[in-house]
Amino acid sequence: MHRCMLSLARQSSRWSRSHSTLAENASGDPRWFGWQVVVGIEAHAQIKSRKKLFSDSWTNDPPQPPSTRVSAFDASFPGTLPRLNSTCVALGVRTALALNSNVQRRSTFDRKHYFYKDLPAGYQITQHYAPISLGGYLMLANCMRKVGIKQIQLEQDTGKSTFDVHLGKSSIDLNRAGTALLEIVSDPDMSSPEEAGEYVRTLQAVLRSVAASDGNMEQGSLRCDVNVSINKKGEPAGTRCEIKNLNSVKNMQVAIASEVFRHIEILTSGQEVKQETRGFDEEKAETFSLRSKEDAPDYRYMPDPNIPPLLLTESYIDKIRSSMPELPDATRERLLAQGLSAQDTGVLMTADAGREVGMDGTFGQGGVVAYFDAVSEGRDPKIVVNWIVQVLFGQLAARSQTFTENQIMAAQLGSLIDMVQSGVITGSSGKLILRLMLDNPSSKTPEELAKEHSLIALDKGDSSMEAWCREVIGSNPEVADAIRAGNVNVVNKLVGRVMKKSRGTADALSVRKLLLEIIAAKGA
Amino acid sequence: MRVPPIRCVQTSTRIHQTLVESRNARINAFVHLPNDPSPRLTSIDGPLPGMTVAVKDNICTSGMPTTCSSLMLKEFSSPYDATVVKLLRSAGAQIVGKTNCDEFGMGSLNKYSVHGPVINPFGESEGRSAGGSSGGSAAAVAAGLCDAALGTDTGGSIRLPASYCGVVGLKPSYGLLSRWGVVSFADSLDCVGVLAKDIESAESVFDSLNIHDPRDPTAATQRIREKASKSVLSDFLDSGSLSGIRIGVPTDYFPEELHPSVVNPLRTLLIDLRMHGASIVPVSLPSTPYALSAYYVIASAEASSNLARYDGVQYGLHVETPSGSDKRKLANVYSHSRSRGFGSEVKRRILLGAYALTADAFDNYFLQAQRVRSLVRRDFNRVFRAPNVLSAHSETNQAGVDVLIHPSAIRTAPRLDEGVAESKSTLDSYLQDVLTVPASLAGLPALSVPVGLGEDGWPVGVSLVGQWGHEKTILNLGKVLGVSKSSS
Repeated sequence: MHRCMLSLARQSSRWSRSHSTLAENASGDPRWFGWQVVVGIEAHAQIKSRKKLFSDSWTNDPPQPPSTRVSAFDASFPGTLPRLNSTCVALGVRTALALNSNVQRRSTFDRKHYFYKDLPAGYQITQHYAPISLGGYLMLANCMRKVGIKQIQLEQDTGKSTFDVHLGKSSIDLNRAGTALLEIVSDPDMSSPEEAGEYVRTLQAVLRSVAASDGNMEQGSLRCDVNVSINKKGEPAGTRCEIKNLNSVKNMQVAIASEVFRHIEILTSGQEVKQETRGFDEEKAETFSLRSKEDAPDYRYMPDPNIPPLLLTESYIDKIRSSMPELPDATRERLLAQGLSAQDTGVLMTADAGREVGMDGTFGQGGVVAYFDAVSEGRDPKIVVNWIVQVLFGQLAARSQTFTENQIMAAQLGSLIDMVQSGVITGSSGKLILRLMLDNPSSKTPEELAKEHSLIALDKGDSSMEAWCREVIGSNPEVADAIRAGNVNVVNKLVGRVMKKSRGTADALSVRKLLLEIIAAKGA
Repeated sequence: MRVPPIRCVQTSTRIHQTLVESRNARINAFVHLPNDPSPRLTSIDGPLPGMTVAVKDNICTSGMPTTCSSLMLKEFSSPYDATVVKLLRSAGAQIVGKTNCDEFGMGSLNKYSVHGPVINPFGESEGRSAGGSSGGSAAAVAAGLCDAALGTDTGGSIRLPASYCGVVGLKPSYGLLSRWGVVSFADSLDCVGVLAKDIESAESVFDSLNIHDPRDPTAATQRIREKASKSVLSDFLDSGSLSGIRIGVPTDYFPEELHPSVVNPLRTLLIDLRMHGASIVPVSLPSTPYALSAYYVIASAEASSNLARYDGVQYGLHVETPSGSDKRKLANVYSHSRSRGFGSEVKRRILLGAYALTADAFDNYFLQAQRVRSLVRRDFNRVFRAPNVLSAHSETNQAGVDVLIHPSAIRTAPRLDEGVAESKSTLDSYLQDVLTVPASLAGLPALSVPVGLGEDGWPVGVSLVGQWGHEKTILNLGKVLGVSKSSS
């Protein structure tokens, strides 16, 4: 129901919750001139399944030429019947469990009727009367808010229609028609655009961690409708407006802010906010009216006579519960408990959310956190996270690459870190080897590379170190004189020269010490 | 006529085809006769070798049109075969054509058809109705144009035409025969069934279609089918004695409108059954008076939903939006195709059904009708001896009956030009359904068998209704009736 409008009258109960939870926002946000902002979000996540919700045809992932992934059922040919895809059910249950929601032992499917060119049956199959899951919550880590989940339902996506202004014609692509969606309805528990943004990003991370959806707003695999109202503290909830078709977290936040200002303007001029459905104009950064409450269609919801009630046994739900992956909240806690800073944890988690989501609930491979876990096995996690966040990410960024393109295996990075820690190579040699590994990916061990490039650190008593020191002092007598005269800091100039001669294999501190010893001995 | 040798099959087929065409021109039973009626993809080893079977035009057939007797689908051909058609072909049957019906199965006289009405072949000159909505299928069988025909029955659409045309009509239990490829009228009631010249033919066609189809989400599982078949009665077939069999006569099924001429053959039959040892027991199904209203609400609500797909966008009739009207308003694009493409009865039901589903009416109409439906089911489960395997609360009731028996229709076939006043004739055709609708609401098997002629000399049918999954019980009893009829 991303595009088609909600029946405002019928669903108003969703948002009628008391707003006492917002009372703690006593000081108020100075942006809103003493008004409290109330936001609820209806998210539609496209389930990442190979097949559609009720037909045997493949989903449009990766995207195919228009209307090439359409079965007779998807196109609503006479005589076709739906058949529920159990993979989509399992992913719905997984998502519900991740959102602490109560999976219903019995849920049903209903038809929601409206005429639209990209809806070939004239109705969308959804779960209006008895959804697959009720209740739940999502914790937002930064704003420390618990956002309630009202319900989760399985439903069909529509086709796509595009209008060619020049030809005056609509084109319809049915590739998306019948793809499974999860509609996730939040309680009106958010009180700012930023909280709404964090809710969506947190939801994205959860959807991806359970491999239910790509959760990508820009690509349309996550679409959000936002309900906004404002009220004075202590007063009942204001009239809400729904904003449709928001295609990025940023746009959503801008839309909420602009809608709040619109409400403030209306209310301070003594008028009333009209309940309506609104769109968002990206160029103007403002919302516009799509439809008033009076124009809201009657969807004539009817239990779908073709789809028997979905009955889930406790053991089915338990089986899914026992195979749940670690959820983002738990991952964050675990990382912090290992002594990682909040910032490093945040960087790891953000990068981790970018990992590939597998089809049909296959857990994503190649995540950063899993990589970190592998490397930090038996090593100091703080040192490991430094190498990953500072060195590896830095080098990848310099190459305009993401972590998914990283070719250094966890074992390779691990022994590289070990070599630096044990002094077999210097820190700078370690960074050089890491660059070499990124430039020429291979299965060579860091030891092999260190030897190949003569990067094994010199022992402190190594004779070549003393030779280089004497050579450098000999060719820079004026620096040595300055040091003897008391200007000790200029020794760093000589250290740099020695280091260059050693190609980083010498330890800078030992070199400094040796240089000063030789200069002092000569002067004596 | 001598059976021609094999090499002349083509010639004989052509002669047969000519005969069929000339007869059909008078009764309008077939709306499509393939040019090449020779068996396609048929198996000579199957259980129905060479059997000629007609298919109602709301059942999808690749290579033949599927119009549902609607202007909306007049040019439509389905890209695939319905499961039942596929099964017929693989059983060796020959699909001889598509039969006329009421538009999308809505009607009981087979006069709401873009192909025109079907003339009852029992006496063509009288211009009587063949009944509906499977009128073409019943007429094709009655006229001897095929051995059997597939029909669909949502509220009596097989049993009524069977009764009017004097043929056998079986509406199986809901969920036994696949609905994949059957154009939906009301999904929760639609059943594919068989019309045939005798019970044996109907049974052999039913047997070859009675297979669980994973493509039909409402299909009964194999386990449920086996469970139901355990309480089927067949002992009397060999002995001919009906001793111990309890036959119920629902007293609520004899409304004022019931014509005496259909009651008399039933009375004769009951006396005969008692002579064979059966106990005749009056039973009460008290929810019957409400069943018809509930049926029209549910069937129309589902129809309004199912027919929403015919919008002229992808397939079917498309009427150009008249120039001058605003094409950006979707209603302007759709309404012209839908107003023109649907006939009056279909429109009436779409409007009624759409209203019953509106937010304001839903509780009072749709939900109320669903409650009545469960009362109707409970009525049946209370009177039957065998438990309903679909119901957790249904138990064996030794005081119950094995089969219910009642007239299939309130009268013999009416004349097509009868009842000029549109409103009265509409109400009459609704009343016609009163006897058939309860079994549809409860999803029970019902068999209409011809039991003789009424006072006007036209066929009268009697219906046998069994517990869910008890097709064999009613078919077996029907065979006994056939014996008793010929022996009396």
